[in-house]
Amino acid sequence: MTNSIAEFETDSKVIFVIGSNTTACHPLIANRIIKAKENGARLIVADPRNIQLTKFADLAVHQRLGTDVALLNGMMHVIIRNDWHAAEYVEKRCEEFEALKKTVASYDPERVEAITGIAARDIEQMAELYATNAPGALLYAMGITQHTTGVDNVKSCCNLAMLCGNLGVPGGGVNPLRGQNNVQGACDMGGLPNVFTGYQPVADPEVREKFASAWNCGELSDTPGMTITDMISAIDEGKIKGLYVIGENPKLSDPDKNHLDHVLKKLDFLVVEDIFLTESAQVADVVFASAALGERQGTFTNTERRCMLTQKAVEPVGNALPDWQIISRFATALGHGMSYDSPEEVFNEMASLTKSYQGMTYDRIGIDGLQWPCLAKDHPGTPYLHKETFTRGKGMFHAIEFKEPAEAACAEYPMMMTTGRMFAHFHTGTMTRVSNSLDTEQKTGYVDINPADAEKLNIASGDMVLLTSRRGEIEAPAQITDSVPPNNVFLPIHFGENPTNTLTSSTAFDPIAKIPEFKVGAVKIEKLIA
Amino acid sequence: MDITRQVEQLLKQGRVDIFLGYRELYGHLIPHGYTMDNLEDLENLKVSQHRYSLEKVATHLAEKKPDLKIGIIARDCNQRALNILYTWNQLNPDNIETLNVNCCPSKTRKHGDCSYLEPKETGWFKKENGIDYNAEPDAFMEEFDNSERFSHWMYEFSKCIKCYGCRNVCPVCFCPECSLENPDLIEPGALPPEVPIFHLVRATHMAGRCVDCGLCEDACPAEIPLRFLYRQMNQIVGDVFGYNPGEGIEKSPFTIIGDKVTLEPKPMDA
Amino acid sequence: MNCKFVPSVCSYCGTGCGVLFEVIDGKINSTLPLKSHPVNQGKLCIKGWNLHEYINSFMRLKAPLVKEEGRFQKATWDEAINHAARNFNRIKEEHGPDSIGVLVSAKVTNEENYLAQKLARAALKTNNVDHCARL
Repeated sequence: MTNSIAEFETDSKVIFVIGSNTTACHPLIANRIIKAKENGARLIVADPRNIQLTKFADLAVHQRLGTDVALLNGMMHVIIRNDWHAAEYVEKRCEEFEALKKTVASYDPERVEAITGIAARDIEQMAELYATNAPGALLYAMGITQHTTGVDNVKSCCNLAMLCGNLGVPGGGVNPLRGQNNVQGACDMGGLPNVFTGYQPVADPEVREKFASAWNCGELSDTPGMTITDMISAIDEGKIKGLYVIGENPKLSDPDKNHLDHVLKKLDFLVVEDIFLTESAQVADVVFASAALGERQGTFTNTERRCMLTQKAVEPVGNALPDWQIISRFATALGHGMSYDSPEEVFNEMASLTKSYQGMTYDRIGIDGLQWPCLAKDHPGTPYLHKETFTRGKGMFHAIEFKEPAEAACAEYPMMMTTGRMFAHFHTGTMTRVSNSLDTEQKTGYVDINPADAEKLNIASGDMVLLTSRRGEIEAPAQITDSVPPNNVFLPIHFGENPTNTLTSSTAFDPIAKIPEFKVGAVKIEKLIA
Repeated sequence: MDITRQVEQLLKQGRVDIFLGYRELYGHLIPHGYTMDNLEDLENLKVSQHRYSLEKVATHLAEKKPDLKIGIIARDCNQRALNILYTWNQLNPDNIETLNVNCCPSKTRKHGDCSYLEPKETGWFKKENGIDYNAEPDAFMEEFDNSERFSHWMYEFSKCIKCYGCRNVCPVCFCPECSLENPDLIEPGALPPEVPIFHLVRATHMAGRCVDCGLCEDACPAEIPLRFLYRQMNQIVGDVFGYNPGEGIEKSPFTIIGDKVTLEPKPMDA
Repeated sequence: MNCKFVPSVCSYCGTGCGVLFEVIDGKINSTLPLKSHPVNQGKLCIKGWNLHEYINSFMRLKAPLVKEEGRFQKATWDEAINHAARNFNRIKEEHGPDSIGVLVSAKVTNEENYLAQKLARAALKTNNVDHCARL
């Protein structure tokens, strides 16, 4: 997030939520949005589904799956045509405006209505609401990113925010709501194939030299590595033989489960480190048993870049060890000695190599945390980014054309499918399905079907249906609800017995971010006769 | 005598095995159990403006060790909740020692010195569609007719994200089986939970129980005026039975239903 | 009998809500929202309120496991770590450092992520490091 959660409530005059079922997936951000609305801010919600948040919106629209670029271009078309954009800001702080203007010129509301299914007058009104109430915060989640056009979608969100001067101001910003407690931290810590901590490129010889000398480990590889998506293909091709998986369950979270199951069998050696014997751990050669939250000390960085300290409350269960100890011992056995007395010692080493964290210490972080960049021991942290200038200098507009998603409904697979989370469970269900109180809410997977489709297919709530895509088939009980539009179905991803990712595609992904298109697919539905 | 020395004495004299108060950590006041094993912690003992249900913690301790002697820093609301817990046999008053802090609103002051009762400003959208934070029941009844009041409550309930925080935080919620999780009463898995049934089921269970401590409202992410709702509920209890929950430790009129509570539906033609 | 409250941060979504673990005699008995936390201001969702349930689950892994002839056997830490390291070093020797991939985690701490990518880069000499940000 460029901005902070609290700002939505205190500063934003308009909030635009696109591709985020916030009340279910980020409930303690949703409450800020609703409070902002109650206090007089305007709220726009764009989501293919009829989510809880739509009830509170000044304007709620339901775009056809995978048409976000067209919708955002349409809004920008209207904004520029009416001169509602922040001309001075654009002139002073941005570049490539003419290219953007030229591209969005062809996205008149009528054309966008034809693509997105959103009425032209609603597009006009969305544009007006967003552009004429400043500052405006734009919030999105996986509904924007999990597409073959994920990068295009994100860039379009940035275009819109910059066009209205909403970057670098409190209450504004482009705010991706991160789905895992430390997905921000994992990225910041260099858990990516092309960068060390703080996004320092592995291709930069000076950076490599800095880390090699700090780590005392000889030469470091200068070739950017593979993303998870590439790794799966590389395993299939026999290029990757060994895999070390920490706290992750790819067998349920990755696309095209049948293919993945087949690929994982080709590994020579699989090590999985987890707190449960997940579907993925079950096929490992060695499983390391980890300590959970509350069983060790350490920091996490939330979606608003706030690094917070968690304390050890109890001893790890059985012989489980904190991951920092397992990793140190494993690295040592692999031939690179690592020896630390505490997580704090690790943190201090990391901070000394990472500019955005270098002002942080455990004592300073405390309970409230510090938001990076935090550049010195007396730096208060940074609630919002890009205040005076963008990281790259001028903010660059990207002129982007709309592209259709990889799959469309066809005679054989006539329904469109989208996937996601429900409020009581989390991701692959590893942590939530063993929790009694959460299991009470939802005991098994399901598929949301619109009443009109249910009637056509003679399906009642609770009936088992067979869902088939080009990749495979799963069974799930039907839930009849108008939260999904006709001809669309929604499947939660939490349930191993109804593994939704059997249906999703591993070949449809964004060419740059390598993110799979979990949000759009074509399926067939049949009622199973009991 | 200052409170730290009082607690030290209680512990040293063996009048309590554990004392529930607060301590300061990184500038935050959080609950803490003081015992003879950590007497040195007492120097950090604080009275917190942020209030937690220490009496609920006491029930957790008593559940594990029924004869444990527990001391508690008790504001007026803690004391009222303790009375309910005594009435319903969740705590034994002989095992509880309180150090009292008076704070609740009274004739002489409208707002208490804990964090809950500070008046909040209500935005126009909430005023128009929902319920003013500072709504006075009589004024609310006068301002809106029946169907308007209904729609204002429906708006508030429709914000619910089913966190169960109102129940989880409640010092007088202790049923091992909760009606809110009974699938025959409320359909599980839906967001918002069935409007208005979820909140009305809880409201009926607050009749004769709620001590108006405000913890539920403070824990509610949707800022539903739960306190207002339960106050109205207990107004009826007061009118009908002359019973004001938490005022004393006399038997509640609701205990006459019997000590065995079952969720099974009763036959209509008994 | 002892009872303390230990501050932590919820391990589910990326919001980062502050919680308190109610610890009674060395066991987490319940989870409470931290009232004065800047992110969640004393409120939680259903998952946050029940954090302790997964931590206390009897299904938790309690020891490292090594697969022998298709079946998991409980192992000591030295056995499990040395077995894994021997095999990774063998693969590295036979097929080069880039024949190994490391998936770090959006669920472990910053310190642990830092060490995991350090392990990949300094010990295995590969940049094949990624995690589930995309999933």
